[in-house]
Amino acid sequence: MKSLLVLNLVVLFSVNSTAQTKYYSKAGIISFYSKSSMENIEASNNKLVSIWDVSNGQIEFAVLMKGFEFEKALMQEHFNENYVESSKYPKALFNGTIEKSNAIALLSDNITTVQVKGLLTMHGVTNSVSTTAIITIKNGVVSAVSKFTIALADYKISIPLLVADKINKTITITINIPAFQLLISK
Amino acid sequence: MMGAFFLKEYERRPTDVTSMQATVRIAVADIIDLYDKDEAIANKLFLDKTIQVKGLITEILNQQDTLINIFLGDKNGVHKVSCLLDKRHFKAIKNYTVGQQISIKGICTGYLIDVELNRCVVVDSNE
Repeated sequence: MKSLLVLNLVVLFSVNSTAQTKYYSKAGIISFYSKSSMENIEASNNKLVSIWDVSNGQIEFAVLMKGFEFEKALMQEHFNENYVESSKYPKALFNGTIEKSNAIALLSDNITTVQVKGLLTMHGVTNSVSTTAIITIKNGVVSAVSKFTIALADYKISIPLLVADKINKTITITINIPAFQLLISK
Repeated sequence: MMGAFFLKEYERRPTDVTSMQATVRIAVADIIDLYDKDEAIANKLFLDKTIQVKGLITEILNQQDTLINIFLGDKNGVHKVSCLLDKRHFKAIKNYTVGQQISIKGICTGYLIDVELNRCVVVDSNE
């Protein structure tokens, strides 16, 4: 079954009749970092798709969990097999809203900090997330960066007892969209 | 001895796909079609496996030589095969341009708008 985001994009690529301003990107970077006493854990992922409807602020992300790349193969294998079970739950999805999205001046260079609220689904569990994002418009290029922290337990990601006291129970996620593409302009 | 083994295992880097045998060899149009029809079934066939695809280059996205993504498929199609090139093999794409046929091998990480392959390497045109 196709995700809502994929359906949205397929429809938007096919039909150009909606009077809205929408952006999409399939060239972003999502990374996470977790400081721990044993070893810092970090990985990055270039496999994400995002769509942003400026008129109502709705924003969606989809990320492939197997797209996270670690420097060490063993860490990547543990992440996929023991922590996020990426074969069973191949995607993480965010569906939310950028507050006052339609007030952002998209035609002139500026940097705007916005509030973002929504639902993050990962490892089969959905939780609400509230964070800020910085939206930058420079020379006509619209980019966005956001950072937020989640608790692994909230997503039923369990840490093996052997290393439980050595691994941080939260991770900080950074999303960087260097250039949104205009999909529809009103 | 055991310590050396564990240290080596601990420090192990992700395998260069060049040395990995492709589990599946498939045309770009066929893998896109299978994912478009039923993502769950296609994931059972391809997810996490070493896939070799053959098709036309529609776009080479080079972000200042820090990241190179090659898109394969029909230039008018919505879905493509998106191949994130292994940094160790960036040079291999330098002789290719949009519209050329290419064979690429990589690890399938799933399906978003495109079928996604990671750690990709360019395969000899005769293969």
